[in-house]
Formats: sequence, C-alpha cells, structure tokens
Amino acid sequence: MKNYYCVLTFHTTHYALNTEKVLKERNVPVKLMPVPRQVSSSCGIAAEFPCEEKEKILLLCKEYHIEFDDVHQIEKDSKNNWFTKLISMNK
Amino acid sequence: MKDDKVKIVASGGLIGVLAALLVKFGNPVNMGICVACFFRDIAGGLGLHRAAVVQYLRPEIPGFILGSFGMAKAKGEFKSRGGSSPLLRFILGFFLMVGALVFLGCPLRMILRLANGDLNALVGLFGYVAGIWIGIQFLKQGFTLGKSTKQAAVSGYTMPFVAIALLILLLTAPAFIFFSESGPGSMAAPVVLALGAGLAVGAVLQRTRLCTAGGIRDIMLIKDFHYLWGLIGIFIFALLGNLIFNFETFKIGFEGQPIAHNDHLWNFLGMALAGIAAVLLGGCPLRQSILAGEGDTDATVTIFGLMAGAAFAHNFGLAASPQGVGLNGKVAVVIGLVIVLSIGYGVLKATAEIKAKGGVGANV
Repeated sequence: MKNYYCVLTFHTTHYALNTEKVLKERNVPVKLMPVPRQVSSSCGIAAEFPCEEKEKILLLCKEYHIEFDDVHQIEKDSKNNWFTKLISMNK
Repeated sequence: MKDDKVKIVASGGLIGVLAALLVKFGNPVNMGICVACFFRDIAGGLGLHRAAVVQYLRPEIPGFILGSFGMAKAKGEFKSRGGSSPLLRFILGFFLMVGALVFLGCPLRMILRLANGDLNALVGLFGYVAGIWIGIQFLKQGFTLGKSTKQAAVSGYTMPFVAIALLILLLTAPAFIFFSESGPGSMAAPVVLALGAGLAVGAVLQRTRLCTAGGIRDIMLIKDFHYLWGLIGIFIFALLGNLIFNFETFKIGFEGQPIAHNDHLWNFLGMALAGIAAVLLGGCPLRQSILAGEGDTDATVTIFGLMAGAAFAHNFGLAASPQGVGLNGKVAVVIGLVIVLSIGYGVLKATAEIKAKGGVGANV
C-alpha cells in the first residue's frame, strides 16, 4: 500500500469545490478533506489525489482557471514527518 | 489517521472538562466557557455598554489569544496576514454576536448548555445547522471574502497586545473599568484558573484547529467527520464534567434553565443568524480568537465586530434575557438575517461580474 498522497490547497473554498467537480467529471480520483495539519494552521478545504496524477491535475487547473495555493505530498504515517519535510525542502 | 481522531476528541474533551471546572470554581452555570458572552462581558467591563450585570474583563479570552500566540510562535506558525474584506468581516462579526446574544450563548456555549440538559440548546443547534446549510449554499455558488495576503508583522501583534492590555486592566482595576456587582458578570472563577484554562485551550486549539462552524460545515459540504469528533468530545466530557463537578445544576428540560429562555422561534433564528455569519467568516467566535492570536488580522477585525455587536446589543436592548426575547431583539435578528444574506448575494454578484469581465469562469 502506498504510504503517501498529495493534496492541493486553495485560497478559497470555492476553488476547492470547483476542482472536485472538474476532476470528477474526468474520472480523476479526488477527495475533499480538511487541510492536513502538517501543511497549514488554517482550517480550509484541500483536495486529496494520488501523486501520479499531479501533472494532469495541474494542467486541468490551468485550463479551468482554478487558482490553487500549493501542492503538498503528505506522508500517511505522521510519525515519519521527516519525509514530508525532505520533499518540501527539495522543491 | 486514528491518531488524529484521538487528538481531536482529546482537544474537545479538554474544553469540556475545563468548562465544567470553571463553573465549579465560580463561572456562571453553563458558562464555563462562552466566547460570545465573554467578549460581551469584556465590552461591558470597558464601558462600551452599561448593562450592569454583564461587565467583567474575562481572563479566559486573553488566555485563548495568548495561548494560541505562544503556540504559533513556538511552532513558527505566527504569520501576519489579512486584507480579506475586513469591513464585511466586521459586519458579519457584529451580527453573529447579535444572533448569539438573542440565543444567549455562542455555539460553544450551545454545546455546553446541551451537555447540562438544557434542551433549548437543541433548538439552537437546529438553527445553527440550518444557518450553516444556508452559508454553504453561498460557498457552493462561489462566495469568498477573498484571499488574505501577508501584512507587516506589527499588525499581527494587535490582538496579543490587546490581550495583554486587558489582563493589565483586570489586575490593576482602574476606576474606569466596570466590574459587575451582581448577575453573571459578578460570577467568575479565580483569575489564575481562568487564565490558565484559557491558555491551555488556546494552545491546544492552535494545534488542532477545532471549530464549531467548521465541524458542521465539513460534514455537509465534504462529508468529512474529523472536526465533528472534536465537537462530540466537548459534549461528552462537558457532560461527564458536569455530572461529577456540578451535579446539583444538571437538569434535563426546557424550563428554568440557567441564563436561557425558551422562546423556540428566536432561539432557532438567533443561532441560524450566527450559523450563516460563521460560515461566511470561515469560523465561529472561538476559532476567530485562535486565528487572531496567530497573526490573522482579519480575525482581529472580526473580533472587534463581535465586541461592537455586543455593545450595541446591550445598549439597544437587543440581547435576550431569561424572560425571553424583546421586540428590539427580534427586529435586530430579522435585520441581521437580511444584511448577512445581502452580503452573501452582493459578494456572489461581484464575483460573477469579475468572472464575466475577465472571460474566466467557463468552469462554473
């Protein structure tokens, strides 16, 4: 089983809802969730998706004028936070 | 994931237990923690309204703010930010307070009242959920107060500074600060205990981000139950806390509940108003206090709106009392609903126009 996933974060809830709509129409697996705590202290909504769909999703966001804040890769086991940190450092 | 659930239930549980303890040590019954009531008491203590029974500089509030501030600083999450429709936030905060004071409590006190058997709070909860549902419809249509941007660091320190000023005024008690001699404002846990409880809640909620409005919103909007577990934690632990520490006050029913009335329609509408405003703001009063502590100047403006709302609510006789809701309060709730909905529609209209002009928005 994969032990990481990716999330898109947004400046507004509306874009999160739009993203879900657009991606679902194209059968890209996506799920809305509260923004993971590791990413931010805000309490907004993020879109979870498999990391391998990243390029496709970023293209779709551009095409549909969806403004997003950032893309993050999240380690599922929160005890291994160093991994997430490593990735964000290499960005 | 399981770890997350334990954390969120525990943070709710902490609020529940501390609320019960604060009542045990002197706070008014079912008001161990009530963010709306406490800001109202602070507005009274500062003399912004002259309702003699609800004036006290509640140290729990500076506790929430400084607890959040300290935790955010320690974790490197303190960020000055703002500029997301501050005026509209002020107005939404204003009417959120009016709705809460007609119901007699913020959404957190609603849960605490429910946990002590006050069934009027159940009517309030239905209203709150209805309000959140209405707010969500605006979100779905594209409502947004706009994204916040980085601000000069100094502006983020506003609320922590206000919190410290309030504590100094509380401890030095100069002649121009009002302290109730009777009524709810005169009932208070010792300062050290109240401040300590506030600091603990502030620090923990900065980590777990629990919010009454966010919890219910996420269930309806994205079918996510994470924060709901926190709300359940508040309820269960407040219930247990009350049964252990305040058993003599526990009473199931509608009649004769402390600092409550059983005017069902206005309990419902008051909380519906609070619910819509809280969703459009992106957080209940408790959450706004936490955000203000971590440098969110939009939340700070919202809090000033809450305090202005509290001052007007008592100056104009809008706030309810255990005898019920007066005519002024009813008119204010109706006006509040009209204004809050107008803000919703107004923002939607503006967003639609921007999209049309920019040729963007084929996606909506």
